[in-house]
Amino acid sequence: MVTVQRAIEMLGIGSVLITVEPEESAQARPPRALCPRSFVAGHSLGRPNDEALQKWIIMDALELLLADAKPGEVIIRDYT
Amino acid sequence: MEKALELSRYCVPFTPFKRKLEESLICLVSTAGVRARSDPPFNLEGDNSFKRIDGSLSAAELAVDDSHYDHGCIDKDVNCVFPIDRLRSLAREGRIAGLTDQHFSMGFSQALRELRETTVPQLARAVAAARPDAVLLTGG
Repeated sequence: MVTVQRAIEMLGIGSVLITVEPEESAQARPPRALCPRSFVAGHSLGRPNDEALQKWIIMDALELLLADAKPGEVIIRDYT
Repeated sequence: MEKALELSRYCVPFTPFKRKLEESLICLVSTAGVRARSDPPFNLEGDNSFKRIDGSLSAAELAVDDSHYDHGCIDKDVNCVFPIDRLRSLAREGRIAGLTDQHFSMGFSQALRELRETTVPQLARAVAAARPDAVLLTGG
């Protein structure tokens, strides 16, 4: 996934990754990445039909585009 | 002829983002094996293709082909991994400008060299052609 993200950034498009595998993602050095702590594959945006939580995570991820750059790092946050 | 230089993995490509989110079109890109229900499925044994997902589709019109993680949540709500309805809702609220006309997903593959040399560059160009202001990527 980070490989795709890096290729997109190389074409001049800002991007942010939502990952549930922070160690694996960090090794691949993502331009911007958010990890909701302790979420697992299959619901990286949280519980099904929990629109408020899913939108919260999306906005947190998109706001990393506006935040101080930390290329290569995965930002881990709690959503529980 | 010498081979072109490859980016070291220690080097991080980074495009500064200068827009406001409220003025930005967002493109969704996933590796979770997402597709339109009307499209043929990804090959679960390994698939190096990527699929285009029309931006007008809702999550209920999408399917996920994958055998590597629990699908209990996705079966109820594809937004758990591919939040297309939630982005549309954020656009209605004016928090983003909207979604691109196309979104993209890859499936599962272990043919890493082909992915790196062929699929990923093709996918990145297709994403750029959709002219997003920013890209939101999701794994599983």
